[in-house]
Amino acid sequence: MTDESQSTGRRSFLKFAGVAAGGAVSATLAGCIGDDDEEPTPTPTPTPTDPEALLREFDGELPDDPSREELLQHANGLSNERAPWIFLHQQFSIYGVSDEVEWTAREDEDINAWDMSSDLDEITITQGTFPTALAPHNHNDTPTHNVVDHVYDQLLYRDEEGRLIENIATDWRRIDDTTVEFDIRDGVMFHSGNEMQLSDVAYGINRARTHEDSSVIGVIGAIDEAYVEGDALRIDLEIVEPAIFRNLAAFGRVMEEEWTEARSIGDLNAGEMNGTGPYELHEYLDGTRVVFTKFDDYWGEEPDIEQVTFNHAPEEGTRIDRLLTGESHLVVNVDPGDISEVEEADGVRIEDVASIRSIFIVMNDHFEPFDNVYFRQAMNFAVDVEAIIDTQLAGAGNVTSQPTLPGHFGHNPDVEPYPYDPDRADSLIEESGHVGEEITIHTTTGRYLRDTDIADAVAGQINELDNVSAEAEFRDTDEMFAETLDGEQDTSPEIFLIGWGNPTFDANYTMSPWFDDPVFTHYNDEEIVDLLRQANQTPEE
Amino acid sequence: MATKTATSDVIPWDKIDMLLRHRTGRVLLAAITALLVYVVLSGTGIGPEETSTRIILSMVVGCLLWAHLVYGAWLVKRELQGLFVIWGVVTVVFFLRFLTPGDPTIALTPPDASTDVREQLARRLGLDEPLYVQYADYIWNLVTLDMGRSLRTQVPVMDLILIRLPATIELAVAATLVAMVIAIPLGVISARRRHKPADYSATLFSLVGISTPNFWLGIMLILYVAVTVDFLPTGGRSIGFAAAWGGLLMEGDFDGISRWFAQLILPAITLGTFFTALLTRLTRSGMLEEIGKAYFKACQAKGLPETIILYKHVLRNTLIPIITVLGLQLGTLIGGAVITEFVFAWPGLGRFLINSIHSRDWMVIQGIIIIIGIGFVVINIAVDAAYAYLDPRVELR
Repeated sequence: MTDESQSTGRRSFLKFAGVAAGGAVSATLAGCIGDDDEEPTPTPTPTPTDPEALLREFDGELPDDPSREELLQHANGLSNERAPWIFLHQQFSIYGVSDEVEWTAREDEDINAWDMSSDLDEITITQGTFPTALAPHNHNDTPTHNVVDHVYDQLLYRDEEGRLIENIATDWRRIDDTTVEFDIRDGVMFHSGNEMQLSDVAYGINRARTHEDSSVIGVIGAIDEAYVEGDALRIDLEIVEPAIFRNLAAFGRVMEEEWTEARSIGDLNAGEMNGTGPYELHEYLDGTRVVFTKFDDYWGEEPDIEQVTFNHAPEEGTRIDRLLTGESHLVVNVDPGDISEVEEADGVRIEDVASIRSIFIVMNDHFEPFDNVYFRQAMNFAVDVEAIIDTQLAGAGNVTSQPTLPGHFGHNPDVEPYPYDPDRADSLIEESGHVGEEITIHTTTGRYLRDTDIADAVAGQINELDNVSAEAEFRDTDEMFAETLDGEQDTSPEIFLIGWGNPTFDANYTMSPWFDDPVFTHYNDEEIVDLLRQANQTPEE
Repeated sequence: MATKTATSDVIPWDKIDMLLRHRTGRVLLAAITALLVYVVLSGTGIGPEETSTRIILSMVVGCLLWAHLVYGAWLVKRELQGLFVIWGVVTVVFFLRFLTPGDPTIALTPPDASTDVREQLARRLGLDEPLYVQYADYIWNLVTLDMGRSLRTQVPVMDLILIRLPATIELAVAATLVAMVIAIPLGVISARRRHKPADYSATLFSLVGISTPNFWLGIMLILYVAVTVDFLPTGGRSIGFAAAWGGLLMEGDFDGISRWFAQLILPAITLGTFFTALLTRLTRSGMLEEIGKAYFKACQAKGLPETIILYKHVLRNTLIPIITVLGLQLGTLIGGAVITEFVFAWPGLGRFLINSIHSRDWMVIQGIIIIIGIGFVVINIAVDAAYAYLDPRVELR
């Protein structure tokens, strides 16, 4: 769900000081919008005398006996029409990579050294944050996943496009609505030197679901129990849990039962690691580096690179400098403003890919005017997301139209993003009866790529409307999260920018929390909730 | 009485007393004790595993003994006062957390965790106990040198701090040394050449140094020294003090020590620049004041070389305020130089503290603040002791 913080590039700031100030950006953006060359193709605006026609409508129809995918697609279509969020963009993952390393960025944000090839025996990967834990289930953030993945194998895995592939499990199937079964690979060795047993696989799954220190209890799925059944691993589910296979590809890791039980969670986090993965722990220095070396008895293809070091540099400019000096061979979260510098430098390159993270602005329907669909749609028509992507992100982003990202299960390909149409936005606001509203968009600070600049730009564009004013308020990220995630909708900000990663590639991972969950929900729509619940009771075909 | 006589016969107290009254004797005793501690640690396998860490620990014990021999009752009194201060810090920090917004169980659980899961976590961490019970437990554990476990990772807080403390101390001391080595001669020259180009240059340097934001300086140093010239590493701490010096002393390994030195230069300059500028100005003004006094002219009349007058007599009298500022500054740096640590990816306490605040990991926050408190207390005692050394008129009571 979460990702490391991504700060605005200080390097860019220094180089282009005076140009990138938030307010100026908004003004510039607003200015650009008025430019004939930049103005997007206008869409016909219905007349205010026809209020119903002003509203954008989703005209998709649900078949009589819908599949799970159709249910989710319909829910996504309705989400576009009901506009619970200002749909912004799909964030890109941007990496700086040494030419000495062959590697292609993955959509799921995973950085796997065993996928890389190089003439070098040792490489260094620099992320923005140090792993928060080494115990395989005691975290749910991307930088930690990237480190832990090298040691602890998942039951299943994903290819670069997000399709499920075999890993520790060689085959998988659904026995009935609430039972799934896996064939498990033979001859897999733990780094401890012991051979993996079926019971170890079951233990890892059960531990993720029940252990008091597991951070993935809520996201791995409604698993009742994993157990050995003959030569296979079987999992009983509490409900249908259609996305169980995708969930297990993200969070279902194998642990050696006896070895693990002999250790506390503190031991595991302090540098004791034992999995079946392609690399084993060589050195761990908390806050400084994690060094892995190839595991000789790995069950899969032997990795090309002998030794991998993960370290971290929170400052984006420092990461780039490490790349340019050859101290690091792969750095994460390159600021869009620094892409050209990396591209122009010798021996390094940029790798970027649309990520699993979408950025959006939540409109809390507990408060006026966000309980009004005219007003919510107006906010979407008022924002020129393409211009924001071009200006703030150097083009590194895709405009989104719905909660689910393209390529994820349940995405509705027939739904188009809201076009930029300030006149229609003005008319919708007139119709909503909320003329003269003053909006304050709360935003995280440094949590997502250029989050404050984007919030500022959105506020600037809304401010350009004739009948409403807006400003951005930069919040301490953790303070804002605490306020929004305490389960009290009435104490959350009225409107706030946030991001959401979806490592399962399934619509449910994004939609159920935001529309049918006591913690996250800020928009209440019975029809969408019914669709999601129905989808969660319908096994995938 | 007979026993006392017998003991006096066996142990030559009078000779020991004579030995301890002599400066060399005290140093010798401290050195022998340090050696004994090292032998015991190595022989029994108690304490740290690394030889270099054992050496450092033994040296610390030796230094402590030396300090007690020199300063005696005064030091014990100051230590007791220090303990009282630390208890105050612990108490304030402990209770402050209950006034701070943000429930640690929210920060420690996944966003979609249920209230039951959070309550279960609170029970496990003892957060559901009455406040006085939590406080009493915490104080008792501290007495037994147990700072508890990180709420986030369940790793002992003491371990987490001990990993980062050397990095913090290294950087703080290095920055202070950079400042002293540059600032004091510069201040002296500036005072002696008052209203001359050297003085104006030093004043300009001070002004620029004080006005330069250290995040900018750090980035510029990385860009030009580490990237363009490729002379020093861009950041990080690839080797620690103990490993580097241990490698040199035990195995004659120069590579480790050169890496250790190289990694420290840019962060130390970045952090020390502001401090250098401040000290230069302080030294200059102090020197100017002293130069105006009669003893300066008396020394000149006696025909003493100017360098000796300045560095032996005038500077010594100027050092009291400088030492005060040095102590305060060093104490602040022990608390962490967050921005410098951030820019250079230096694994010190400052950034760790900020991260722990973000995750509401109160056990770690408390632990770090206690360490900062101890740092201030130790430095203040050292500064007071330095006053007496520099100025014989100051009595330690």
